[in-house]
Amino acid sequence: MSQSGDLIVSKKRACMPSVSLVPETSLTKTRRRTLAAGLLVLLLSANAQEGEEALPPLRFEGYPGAPDFDVVPRKDQLFLYPCGQCHESMESNAEIRTLDVMLHPELEHAEGRIWCLSCHGLENRNYLRTLLNEPVDFDQADLVCGGCHASRHRDWTFGAHGKRVANWQGERTLYSCAHCHNPHSPAIEPRAPRDAPPVRAGLELKRGVERKEVPVWERQEEDEQ
Amino acid sequence: MTTSSDSDDERNRFDKARRNFLRGLGLGGAAAVAQPAWGGATFSDAFADFFQQQYKRMTPEEIDAALERIERKAERRYGAVINCDNTQAQPGVVFGYAINISRCKGYRDCVNACVEENNLGRDSQVQYIRVLQMNNGDANLEHSEHYYDPAEVPVEGKYYMPVQCMQCDDPPCVKACPVEATWMEPDGIVVVDYDWCIGCRYCMTACPYWARHFNWTEPEIPAEEMNPDTHYLGNRPRPKGVVEKCHFCIQRTRKGRQPACMEACPTGARIFGNLLDADSEIRYVLANKQVYRLKEDLGTEPKFWYFSD
Repeated sequence: MSQSGDLIVSKKRACMPSVSLVPETSLTKTRRRTLAAGLLVLLLSANAQEGEEALPPLRFEGYPGAPDFDVVPRKDQLFLYPCGQCHESMESNAEIRTLDVMLHPELEHAEGRIWCLSCHGLENRNYLRTLLNEPVDFDQADLVCGGCHASRHRDWTFGAHGKRVANWQGERTLYSCAHCHNPHSPAIEPRAPRDAPPVRAGLELKRGVERKEVPVWERQEEDEQ
Repeated sequence: MTTSSDSDDERNRFDKARRNFLRGLGLGGAAAVAQPAWGGATFSDAFADFFQQQYKRMTPEEIDAALERIERKAERRYGAVINCDNTQAQPGVVFGYAINISRCKGYRDCVNACVEENNLGRDSQVQYIRVLQMNNGDANLEHSEHYYDPAEVPVEGKYYMPVQCMQCDDPPCVKACPVEATWMEPDGIVVVDYDWCIGCRYCMTACPYWARHFNWTEPEIPAEEMNPDTHYLGNRPRPKGVVEKCHFCIQRTRKGRQPACMEACPTGARIFGNLLDADSEIRYVLANKQVYRLKEDLGTEPKFWYFSD
């Protein structure tokens, strides 16, 4: 899985860099803080436990008749993963509170109705959690998103939302939710469009004319008044 | 409202255009002498091109010869080595397309990918996809703006609707063609035989979607940007003076790949697939979303749907 996954991820980087636009901007935000706290991470990661047993993947069969698919893995793109390398040695605190922690992105999701441990596991630090508190691997993150965004998740499973990789026929591989939406700030940021099409010959603006003429329908409205 | 300075401008421009035209005549004459005979082709290629039949009337051997001539011509004309193939339609496949206009943000990445994939002239004004900027709550195409160029999209109060060839199931352009240079393939793609087209542009006037485009100039494509994977009915280099259109990236989709516009779309607004496969994504959209087709009342039966969610 991981070998073929690497292949898919590299393909994705080659053909569509713009999809990862949102997560990248958040990365640069975190990277600034990294410089300040880099030493701390180095110290803590030395204590991180290795060779932890992986939990079995969560099975979800909520949509009968849904076509099979693979999801492009994203764990190797995560900056701070595995979470346990710091948090295993830290005392856990389940009390809901506002956090402003170094390295971690600010949460601009659901307008304050959720907090870190709504999606991240408390007992299994390297996993996400569903609303039923089942541990979910980071590569199955769509199951966490689908807990609230059920209709979108269903559309995504059947192919009406999100992006499929490369082909329309044959093996179906989907980009996961977090490839396009930053989970901590899921709204897509506006960006510049590509070049406007060339104006057809004969329809160019006259020299010295800055603005286009008032369109016909607006002129008509003026006339009627 | 013509002021005197305006008319002076006009006159100057006319004088300049006339000078350029006369100069062009002189240069053109010189170039005609300097250019090799047969438009840069060998005599045998030019001869065979002249007697080339319509695509559907060619034998397999004649098609192979035509494909080889196309490859040789591209190498001479653009200095690029291309592979032109003739992949046939897959049985049991009819292509359909759907666009989620609530996902489209007007980035025009699809337009860019289309130009690169389909070897459209970089200087010509041919682009298969137009992204229309529309006012919210308004579906009147006359109020749309496709030259929009703000610093950031989406603009508040606007939505975006990409328009390209709808691959109609009852295509008026095919009926208008006097020489049968355009027809619908078994997989539902309306194609053009660029070598059979006489450039009369009747199909352009017949099309209600502004989907057909005329090559007023020889397309200019830098050799390093030429897409070498081409198809006879698709993105092979086209001559000047013929009509061309979106062909659902026939060179890609007949091999199972996505159209270039869909692969380039960063928001996943575009959904493409086989209309005859009940489990396909396009069929899920048609069954579960409120879809509509552009100018459906004209009865052209487009295989291209819009929806929002």
